[in-house]
Amino acid sequence: MHSELRLAIMSLLAGVDEADFTYLKEQTGATSGNLSVQIDKLSEAGYISVEKGFRGKMPRTVCRITPQGTEAFRAYVKALRKYIAAGK
Amino acid sequence: MENTNEQNREMTAQESLSLITETLNSSRREITRRSSKYYILWGALLTLFSLLVYLLWKLTEKEAWCCLWFAMPVIGYLLARLLGRKDTAVHVQNDVSRITHGIWTSFGIFACAVAAFTLIFSMLGTNIIRTLFSVAGLSAELVLIFGLAECACGVALKNWTIKVAGFITGIGGLAIYYILGLGYEQMFIFTFAGLVLMATGLLVKRQYR
Repeated sequence: MHSELRLAIMSLLAGVDEADFTYLKEQTGATSGNLSVQIDKLSEAGYISVEKGFRGKMPRTVCRITPQGTEAFRAYVKALRKYIAAGK
Repeated sequence: MENTNEQNREMTAQESLSLITETLNSSRREITRRSSKYYILWGALLTLFSLLVYLLWKLTEKEAWCCLWFAMPVIGYLLARLLGRKDTAVHVQNDVSRITHGIWTSFGIFACAVAAFTLIFSMLGTNIIRTLFSVAGLSAELVLIFGLAECACGVALKNWTIKVAGFITGIGGLAIYYILGLGYEQMFIFTFAGLVLMATGLLVKRQYR
C-alpha cells in the first residue's frame, strides 16, 4: 500500500461501495497499464476484489475493497497518524 | 500524479495522509458534481410544468389542469434514466449517493401521495378531511417538503449551495404563496422552486468543474 497509486486506489475504494476501472483511471490520472498492474497487486494481496464483466456490449471491470483490505487500510491510517503524532 | 514513476514512488507519512484525505473527499465531490445535471433537469421540468399549468388554468379557469402535475414524475423519471445512460462507462456509488437518492425518492412519494389525497378527498368532500388535505394549502405543503428535501441533500453532500437553495425554495416559496394567494398565481411558487433548482445545478456544476 506504500506506493502513491496503490494508496490512491485503496482510498478511493474505501469511500465507495464499488468503482469501475474508468472511474479509478479518471480519479487517479494513471495510465491504463500502470493502473492494471497496481490493481492486480492489490487483488493478489487480497485487499480488493476484481470482477470482470460487460455492461451492454462494453467490457467493464469493477473493483471493491474486501474486508481484509478495509482492515489493512484502517491499520495503515492508524499507523500513519501515530507516526506523525510521534514526530511532533 | 504526473507519470508512472512518480505514481509508484513511496511517500512520506504526511504525504500519504494528505492523499488519503484528498481521495476520500473526491468521491463526495464526484457524486455532488454528477447530481448537478439532475438538478438542472428537474428544475427545468418544474419550471415548464408550472408555467404550462398556470397558462391552462388561467385561460380555461379550470383548476383541474393541476392533474397535469402527475405526468411530471413519469416524464422526469424517463429523462433522468436517459441522462443516466451517459454514466454507464463510469460507475460509482456510496452511502452519500444512496442517501440523496433516498431523500428525493421519499419526496416524490410524499408529494404524489399528498396530491392524490387532496384530489380524492376534495372530490369526496368530508369537512375534516377537506381541512387536512385542502387544495388551497397543497402548494404550500409541497414547496415546504421540496425545500426540506433539497436542504437534506445539501447536508448529506456537505454542500452549502444546495443547503441554502433548500431554505430559499421552502421559505421563499411559502412567502410567494402568501403574497400571491390561492388562484392560478400560486403556480409561480413552483416556477420559483424550479428556477432555484436549476440555478443550484448550474452553480454546483461550476463549483466542481
